[in-house]
Amino acid sequence: MIDTAFLQPDEQALTGRFIHDGFVTAPADDRAGLDRIQRRAAELAADYLKLPHSNDPLVFLDNVHSRVSVEDLNGLRMHVIGGLNAEPWLRPTYFRLARSTIETIVGNELCMQRRINLSIQMPADDSSLLATHSDVWSGDSPFEVVVWVPLVDVYRTKSMYLLPPSVNGEMQDRMASLRSAEELYKTIKPHLVWIDIPYGHVLLFNQTLMHGNRVNEEAGTRWTMNCRFKSIMSPYADKRFGEFFEPISLRPATRIGMQYKLPGGFDA
Amino acid sequence: MPERSGHRGYIGARPLNGSRAPQHVQNIVIRDYAKRRNLQYLLSAVEHIMPGSYMILEDLLDELPKLNGIICYSIFMLPPDEARRRAIYDRVLHEGCDLHAAVEEISVRSKDDIGAVEDILMVQKYATILT
Repeated sequence: MIDTAFLQPDEQALTGRFIHDGFVTAPADDRAGLDRIQRRAAELAADYLKLPHSNDPLVFLDNVHSRVSVEDLNGLRMHVIGGLNAEPWLRPTYFRLARSTIETIVGNELCMQRRINLSIQMPADDSSLLATHSDVWSGDSPFEVVVWVPLVDVYRTKSMYLLPPSVNGEMQDRMASLRSAEELYKTIKPHLVWIDIPYGHVLLFNQTLMHGNRVNEEAGTRWTMNCRFKSIMSPYADKRFGEFFEPISLRPATRIGMQYKLPGGFDA
Repeated sequence: MPERSGHRGYIGARPLNGSRAPQHVQNIVIRDYAKRRNLQYLLSAVEHIMPGSYMILEDLLDELPKLNGIICYSIFMLPPDEARRRAIYDRVLHEGCDLHAAVEEISVRSKDDIGAVEDILMVQKYATILT
């Protein structure tokens, strides 16, 4: 329950869900932008695989495992993410996919990760798994959120799991007695929530909570993108301003404040 | 025996010897090292920022049967306890793998290589750096 008269009811509801569940999903604010990203990803993948561009990017991406080997998967991933990040429209478009939700959860004076990530997980492939982790453990600030965008329908093991806030602290307290992240996964497994997201929706999640993925046991290939956002003036950790984050919405009052100097010369 | 897929990178978020390198820079250093030695680089795992945690390294050691080896960004990412380090060397070699450190450009490919690595770590522990 968010007890404030300053937020609209829909903002209060969204905020309450994010705090209680650790995540929110929402239809993309800019569906045409999402389709553009998906189409470009499919084109880049087709180029890498020397295939003609598909008229149905979702089906092409979902079935890419029939056209690429596990050994060549990272080459494909690097080609697609390199090509996408080279598009000047990518980051503004990505931001627009979730702008309203980001501004409610984080604020409206933001910095954004400089390079958007791409994850591809083919069915039964165990070569590119993300073990149980919190981003904070590898140097992210607890003030960040992740915007996670699937380019295909994701569900069950084709998606990601998250440990709900209600049990995250208790499980974290047990961590030091465990040997590996795999042991940690086994400990938290009964409590995990797998987040189903149809294409066209975006996910914002609390990256301080434990999360990760497992071998994709579904029929299609998972294609997801992720990018971190934080309030510009909130504390940074190892992922620093400039090298990892850059401002995307520095407001005039902040610019003025940073440049302001009090009148001087009184102690001369 | 399963097919081995390459060398996994191992980077971190904790300062090393009082300084830090951004994680993308650590990856560049590892990728360059792998390229110059014709090693197939696999996406890096990132060790925890919490002091004393080596959970990610333990995961990599569990993964060794599927790897050719591990490339650390720096040899100073290994645990400070010598006995624990020696257990890591033993495990790597027992699995038929090797262990590299990209910054120091050294590797443990056999038991004969361990002494040189330990010398570096020992000197670092006791020598003073002028500032």
